[in-house]
Amino acid sequence: MPVKIDQDKCGGISSCPGEGLCIKLCEKGALENDNNHIVLIEENCDDCDLCIQNCPNQAIIKD
Amino acid sequence: MSKIAREGKENRCLEHQNSNCLGCGICVEICPTTALKLGPVLPIARGILQGDLVALDSNKCCLCGLCASACPFDALKFTIDGENSRNMDKYPKWNHQSGIDEETCIYCGKCSTACPRDAIFMNRTLPDRKELVSGETEVDQDKCIFCGMCEESCPTDAIKIEKINPDSSNPFIGTSTKIDESKCIYCGICRRICPEDAIKIVCTTCMYSDKIPDPQISGHIVMDEEKCINCSWCQEICPVDAAHITKPFSGEIFFEEEFECKGDSCHACKDVCSCNAISMVDNHSYINPQFCVLCGACSRACPQKGISIKRKDLNLTNVRSKAWNARFSSLKS
Repeated sequence: MPVKIDQDKCGGISSCPGEGLCIKLCEKGALENDNNHIVLIEENCDDCDLCIQNCPNQAIIKD
Repeated sequence: MSKIAREGKENRCLEHQNSNCLGCGICVEICPTTALKLGPVLPIARGILQGDLVALDSNKCCLCGLCASACPFDALKFTIDGENSRNMDKYPKWNHQSGIDEETCIYCGKCSTACPRDAIFMNRTLPDRKELVSGETEVDQDKCIFCGMCEESCPTDAIKIEKINPDSSNPFIGTSTKIDESKCIYCGICRRICPEDAIKIVCTTCMYSDKIPDPQISGHIVMDEEKCINCSWCQEICPVDAAHITKPFSGEIFFEEEFECKGDSCHACKDVCSCNAISMVDNHSYINPQFCVLCGACSRACPQKGISIKRKDLNLTNVRSKAWNARFSSLKS
């Protein structure tokens, strides 16, 4: 099951302490920068959870 | 480097050195006041972020020195009036060691190449080629397994292995190993390094003349014990058993039974491992326990919580306080 992004917690790339760390960590290209927002490309997500573990805002979750 | 200092009756100081830190979190686990926090270890290991692997909170730290005593890798330094707690009688002592015996060393340089922390420094003087008129070399092609140890270690690039397909993923397929006698200085490193005893080499000039000494390599090899993390790559790779390592912990590392490794999508464990003990094989993490120091960095980094370590014993003595003993015991599981 792919991850979900809590846009409230995320607050956009410009205010991220890691400047979009999740995008840089994801090697499957499942996370992209869309006008300062993180968008998920579901079919690319491999469920590795690396983004969940490393998000400085705990903004990436799974149900 | 971050630092906390307090002046009073005694001047106490705690310093963290990123260059020695593995990001393992042992100090964070053991701190009684939660004054240490692990930084973004994986992004730092991948070079995405810069920063400290461990952050010190001066408001919480009581400068007891427990974290510095617990760090097996010399990344935390605790001093009282300028004296390092590691040299003080009342503080615990780690007994793991590393060293290279110069008497046995043949100066092949393999350990220095293998060391993941650049902790081994070697320089060597090769015999002067002019003094050597001739010699004989022979490689037993039936015994040779084309492992490439000799080719890699030859100080004068005199050895060449013919490979059937140089790009093949199996490096051990070769057709012949040749020694170029116009380049060879008859130092004999290849003979001593060959795991199959397939190489014969002799300097005939030295053999028949009393005046010309046997070709010898002289040198120096130094292990920087502060940089060394006791992974034992040098010990495993040394062809003559000159390197000796004792590890800080004994125990085991294993995958959880229901662990579904995400392999090449993740490889967080491999990236944070300072010991080069983890590789990715067939899209799955593979741990070589020989090189593991049971620091636990991989276990923390794995988003699937698939890697566990069990430390049975700490190579630590002189823990005088009962309270500290209990904290150290918490590192065992």
